[in-house]
Amino acid sequence: MFAALSPQFRSLGNAQNIMDAAAVLAVVTCGITFVLMMGSIDLSSAGVMGASALTVSLLVANNRNDNDLGLLGIAVAVLLGCAFGCLSGLALVLLKVPSFMATLGVSAIGLGVATLMFAGVQPNITDAMLKGWAIDRFLGLSYLTWIAVACILVGWLIQRYTRLGRYAYAIGGAEEVLALSGVKVKPYKVAVFALAGAFYGLGGVMVTSQLGAGLVQAGNGYDFSAITAAVVGGTLLTGGRGGVLHSAVGVLLVMVLTNGLVQVGVSPYWQGGVEGLIVVAAVAAAVIPQRRRNQVVK
Amino acid sequence: MSTPVAVAEPAANPAGPRRAGRLTGFMPLIALVALVLALAIADSDFLTTRSLTAALRTAAPLIVLAAGATLVVLCGGIDLSIAALASLSTVLLALWLPDLGGLATPVVILAATAIGAVQGVAHVLLRIPSFIVTLGGMSILSAVALVVSGAGTVRVVDDTPVKWLELYVGGYVPMSAAVAIIVVAVIAVVLKVTPLQSWVSATGYSESAARLAGTPVDLVKIAAFCVSGACAGLAAVMLVSRQYSGGPTMADNLLLPAVAAIVVGGTAITGGHGSVWRSLAGALVVTLLRVGLPIVGVPSAYEQILYGVIIVVCVALTLDWSKVSIIK
Repeated sequence: MFAALSPQFRSLGNAQNIMDAAAVLAVVTCGITFVLMMGSIDLSSAGVMGASALTVSLLVANNRNDNDLGLLGIAVAVLLGCAFGCLSGLALVLLKVPSFMATLGVSAIGLGVATLMFAGVQPNITDAMLKGWAIDRFLGLSYLTWIAVACILVGWLIQRYTRLGRYAYAIGGAEEVLALSGVKVKPYKVAVFALAGAFYGLGGVMVTSQLGAGLVQAGNGYDFSAITAAVVGGTLLTGGRGGVLHSAVGVLLVMVLTNGLVQVGVSPYWQGGVEGLIVVAAVAAAVIPQRRRNQVVK
Repeated sequence: MSTPVAVAEPAANPAGPRRAGRLTGFMPLIALVALVLALAIADSDFLTTRSLTAALRTAAPLIVLAAGATLVVLCGGIDLSIAALASLSTVLLALWLPDLGGLATPVVILAATAIGAVQGVAHVLLRIPSFIVTLGGMSILSAVALVVSGAGTVRVVDDTPVKWLELYVGGYVPMSAAVAIIVVAVIAVVLKVTPLQSWVSATGYSESAARLAGTPVDLVKIAAFCVSGACAGLAAVMLVSRQYSGGPTMADNLLLPAVAAIVVGGTAITGGHGSVWRSLAGALVVTLLRVGLPIVGVPSAYEQILYGVIIVVCVALTLDWSKVSIIK
């Protein structure tokens, strides 16, 4: 449809643009998909990405300090994301705080940590490798896009072939049954959140590579876009359905939609509004068949 | 699943929960008094009228926001769109003030109420969980605010229609804080003298039982969302009167403090248990923390971390564990 409306949209260059623009969202969505499969929700990506963006920009070569850890710095940032995810998971299983509340809190903590590290001076990265990720191309696509593809592949393998991925499905489908059949559900829940956190951490690193600087707002808007992409891809918010590959398709759909809307002349400010409508409509469409049965909705 | 547990619990432990419950009931007040004392010791200027009125004026929009959203929480839901709705309302108010003058304030509050009602209807009719509706609503409302304001601040040239909020009652109490407290009192009294109180808590404690008992659950929920929207509109009027402008992201940073205020007050996120008075105390605690941190020399970046920790810890403390067997 957009191809008919805008000649620019049809170009090969625009297809490359869409793929490159989708990279970060794809990685974040990959993480959130596992959480959604369990029937939980994760609003922490904005905060986690901010914290990991600042961490990585302070650990690789930059204008603020003498650190030059390169890949190790990236690994630390991803691990930090993992730790934040762990925190959400622990709050969920030990304190029994509903996941949207726990992750809202963790998001605030992440933003606070990022603001502390920001300390009023923007850290610009000078690390050639990390900067190159966003610029250098391989087979027409930037390195970031290939990283995203690799992430989706890893996510799919985890979902398909590891106990963690299978149990995430099962928790979303019927948690009581799983618990009654002797599976210790709690560690797996924490692990899923930690895995998602690691993906957000990597997403924060990728944003830093795109911007060339660590910003507190690195993850702004990604939390909701990722939920939109996952829901569009067919992951149910009630859990038990969907998957990484579904979400990857959802990411492309959302990116094509936002790119196409801009190309036909709709203000980019509407993007959030469109995403909001999509999520509400998609969730409504998914629950309408069970409307009669589910009388109680919180 | 959890029925046997739920039945056995009150019999097994009759005195314990009640005493603990009474203690947590006073927690917000204890925290409030402790904070005032601590701040008074840390900074001798804190107990002067000037800094106290400044704190009250800062607290006013937060009190109103939290009071409105408390009703939704009491019904067992949550309203995450209050801050975005307040931001949108500041923009609308600033845009409409030149044309409508004094009428702009009630019109904006009505518009906010209508938006709240739409979200409530979507939640009830489509059976979508409230946090998803309001999360989507938050995104949509922010987008609308960005578009109608052109992503910039809308200045208010002639602010006489909202000037009255800047006055002082009896020379000391800021009008905005007085209005906020009146709003809380009105909500509390209306709940008390009508069957609404029992309807709201019945909906929150056990929705299916309330439905079977003939409570108009759907209407109560929609009404809660309306009040929440109206309060967001009123908070927007207060913000505009203080800042002489409206902005598409002006109130966005009030979401976390408002949620924190509700849970600090001791309103259970699972619904039923709590009151708007608790949220008033919670909002004051949060405001005192906000103005108090710089006084004791803590950088304001810790504010965010503090909100996060407060939300998680207080939700865990006030949660009704017997009711929820599986937490998603």
